[in-house]
Amino acid sequence: MKKLLALTLAMLMVLSLGTAAFADEDPVKMTLILRDGTYADVIEECLPAFEEEHNVTCEVQRLSEDDLRTGIALDAINPVGTYDLCMVDGSWMAEYTENGVLANLTELGYELDDDIIPATTTICYVDDQLYLAPYYGNVTVLMYNKANVEAAGYKPEDIQSLEDILAICQKAQADGKKGFIYRGDTQNNLVVDFLPILLSYGGWVVDEDNKPTVDTDEFKAAMQFYLDLIATGDAEVKDDLIASVDTGAGTMGIGWPGWYTPTADSPADYIALSGAATADAEKYNSNVYGIWTIGVPANAPHPELAAQLVEYLMDPDVQKSTVPSGGVPCRYSSLQDEDVLAEYPQYEVVCAALESGMYRPVIAEWTEFFTTLGTEMDNIINGVKDIDTGLADAQAALEELMG
Amino acid sequence: MKKKQLTVAHLQSRRFGVGMLTPTMIVLLVMTAYPLFFTVYYSFTDYNLLKQLRKPANFIALKNYTDLLKNEYFQQAIWNTVKFTVLAVVFEMLIGFGLALLVHSLTRGQKVMRTLLLLPYLLPTVTVALSWRMMLSPNYGIVNQVLQALHLPVYNWFSDIRTAFGMLVLIDVWQSAPFVFLLLYAALQSVPQSQYEAARIDGANAFKTLFYVTIPNIKNSLALCALLRTIDSFRLFDKVNLLTGGGPANSTATITQYLYNFGISSLNFGFGSAGAVIMTVLVLILSSFYIKRAMG
Repeated sequence: MKKLLALTLAMLMVLSLGTAAFADEDPVKMTLILRDGTYADVIEECLPAFEEEHNVTCEVQRLSEDDLRTGIALDAINPVGTYDLCMVDGSWMAEYTENGVLANLTELGYELDDDIIPATTTICYVDDQLYLAPYYGNVTVLMYNKANVEAAGYKPEDIQSLEDILAICQKAQADGKKGFIYRGDTQNNLVVDFLPILLSYGGWVVDEDNKPTVDTDEFKAAMQFYLDLIATGDAEVKDDLIASVDTGAGTMGIGWPGWYTPTADSPADYIALSGAATADAEKYNSNVYGIWTIGVPANAPHPELAAQLVEYLMDPDVQKSTVPSGGVPCRYSSLQDEDVLAEYPQYEVVCAALESGMYRPVIAEWTEFFTTLGTEMDNIINGVKDIDTGLADAQAALEELMG
Repeated sequence: MKKKQLTVAHLQSRRFGVGMLTPTMIVLLVMTAYPLFFTVYYSFTDYNLLKQLRKPANFIALKNYTDLLKNEYFQQAIWNTVKFTVLAVVFEMLIGFGLALLVHSLTRGQKVMRTLLLLPYLLPTVTVALSWRMMLSPNYGIVNQVLQALHLPVYNWFSDIRTAFGMLVLIDVWQSAPFVFLLLYAALQSVPQSQYEAARIDGANAFKTLFYVTIPNIKNSLALCALLRTIDSFRLFDKVNLLTGGGPANSTATITQYLYNFGISSLNFGFGSAGAVIMTVLVLILSSFYIKRAMG
């Protein structure tokens, strides 16, 4: 009896081993590290089809901007990393590629197609080799409250210069509302909020040799204008800014398309900045990119699969399918599609802004750069230093930083 | 023979002691000594997390320390931290002690009061920070709405240089005073009732009873509370980072926030390590003062 039982158990073991051997292979687990918010939402909703097709499971880590940058960097020091795909802000590109954090997508067999807006791809290459793909077309826009603008006697198409913006905000302030709302909570937000104004005055933070240029006449004029403009409103965090403009408590603010989806009935909308300081002044490219790109870490555990995932996520049809969920592809086929524009007319504005946008300086020291500049701007805004002193101090500190 | 037996027993006892200590020593070495050693080591280098992928960090002697101590924003961060610590600890001690005396004196409802008063301390700091941010929001915050209804001036609490620092102190006191309350309330339970009765018979009023009976009996607990709160307040980071980011105009930048902005965010861990060492030294100096007083 015991022998029979032992024999039966042994046969069962052999059978189960055999079954396991012939069973389907376990799916490969891929890990994605993404920027939290709409940016990750639209990627996550596209993943099931890829998972099914490639027999993989994708785990998504959604992080804040700071945590995302640090998370990718911390993982980069491991011989084999955790992440297969990472979302990268354009301004981190120089730091990452200089230090070999990202895999060469050209070598992995992926190339960008012609449908992608060319200006958005400028930072994606190093020596003609592709490292990143522009996924989410974030670009600065001017968010405004429709009723407040109308009350100031303006139509959106009449806002042709920074002068007009100031006039509208001053009128709103006179009416007991807040004019311009700015993000003063971090140095990064402060600098990025200000860059479109600086560009409209023909200034920039570095010259063509990446030498700091913050103590210039253009910068001082833009700073003086910015002080006048923000005096009409308040410093608020992102959610408060959106709520302010949406409710009409505030009138305008620099925003990003990913923040707000305007409709015909919504109380707020956005336009691209004209790039002119005054009605007669020269027009400059004044839309600043905050494009979220996707790439593959150099130490990704499954680089080939990851490259396929990049290709899949960048597919024109897949990208267009994300539009109803708030996706903003950097593609003509999505942004100029008649059906898309019929339902989301604001994409025309986004497309124009993306065609003429500016990336933040592609320098490895950008984080230290904006921290230093933002700190001095914060001092000027709060009256701790005057414009001349603050910008001279910033210039000196930045020159030391950039060597 | 007896001596030999004693030696064996002694050896066994020592071996047992070492065996019991070893796991703790290993954990301490791995979790405390190792990071501490490397923090001190990195503080003398230009270690940058990403740059060291290309080339190893260089030994730069005291450059990180001299750069830090010369930096006006770091000096301001030290001053802000000291100011915050003093204000927060004083208010937390006063309020916590007051609450402990009040609850201790209650004849009914002590348990309910104890639980209710502890609630802020039980909340995660992120929840506390976000709740206060909502309450003090310039748009939909209840505080400004109440002030407006009372025709009082309203503020943009976290962005106004006049109010941001005070708000951080207020929130920290609100959250941490219950901790002081709990410790001192427990200490009050141990004060012998006979001493209170003797004081009453001698005709001591409440004020004298407090200073000649209660405080001398719980002075070690008071010192411990002050020590723990000082160390904790000195390390303040999460509330500042979530609510003000160190602004406006560096008025709320603490040492940890400064190190985060200029060291950790930039991945300059060598620079950040030097700041951490300076902070540790400052905390040790403050702590040793308390420990000396309490034990002494």
